[in-house]
Amino acid sequence: MKLVAFVSDYKMTVDTLDRLKPEKLGIILVQNGVYHATTKENGKPSSLLNYSANYYVLQEDLETRGLSGANVLDSKVKVIKFGDIVDLLFNEYDKSAWL
Amino acid sequence: MATTKLGFVVQRPGYKSENPKLALTHAIASQSVEIYLQDGDLVTADIAFIGDGVLNCIKGQKAVENYDLNSTESHIKMALLLDLNVLVCKEDLDRYGLSESDIVIDAPEFGADMEVKVVPYSEITQMMEEMNHLLFF
Repeated sequence: MKLVAFVSDYKMTVDTLDRLKPEKLGIILVQNGVYHATTKENGKPSSLLNYSANYYVLQEDLETRGLSGANVLDSKVKVIKFGDIVDLLFNEYDKSAWL
Repeated sequence: MATTKLGFVVQRPGYKSENPKLALTHAIASQSVEIYLQDGDLVTADIAFIGDGVLNCIKGQKAVENYDLNSTESHIKMALLLDLNVLVCKEDLDRYGLSESDIVIDAPEFGADMEVKVVPYSEITQMMEEMNHLLFF
């Protein structure tokens, strides 16, 4: 299964991602999930970035929170727009989940 | 004559929920109750950002451009315009690698004289002890 998961919170209260074993995993950081891509707590990147996955972050939600500078973004994460999400859902992944 | 002191403590990041912005709108609205007060009575409001709440203070928020929403940043600036005491926890800023240059500090374009104060958590604790009512968001 090719799965793309939307992460919309900064502090996750579920371990669903640990339980999923898709052949291909994409993680799209939206809403407050964008802090995973930008914020280092005590100098450490978010543990959410430790999965073997393709990471994306929504540009509009970065900018809304004042996080538009490329220097604040983890190098694993690709910045995308709403239109790119549609392309990913239709072309790259079979299923989507919202965490 | 009496002064009622309100303390608003914001401990969550913004936008996904209205919660942090509500703290600011409530604090701002508290300054419009004069008509219900006796002469000489006052209501003051202090706002403190702690924990993940300090992420609300990052400057350069483009909420209007992207979602047609007033930004939390502009609400903080409105609070400064009304001379509200806005405190940001230094330890929590440090935890996220943020400094004063990353956050909203003043609002000269709004004509505000007040500035955001970055203070150690001990000062925020002191502020909370001085309040008559504390509201957590």
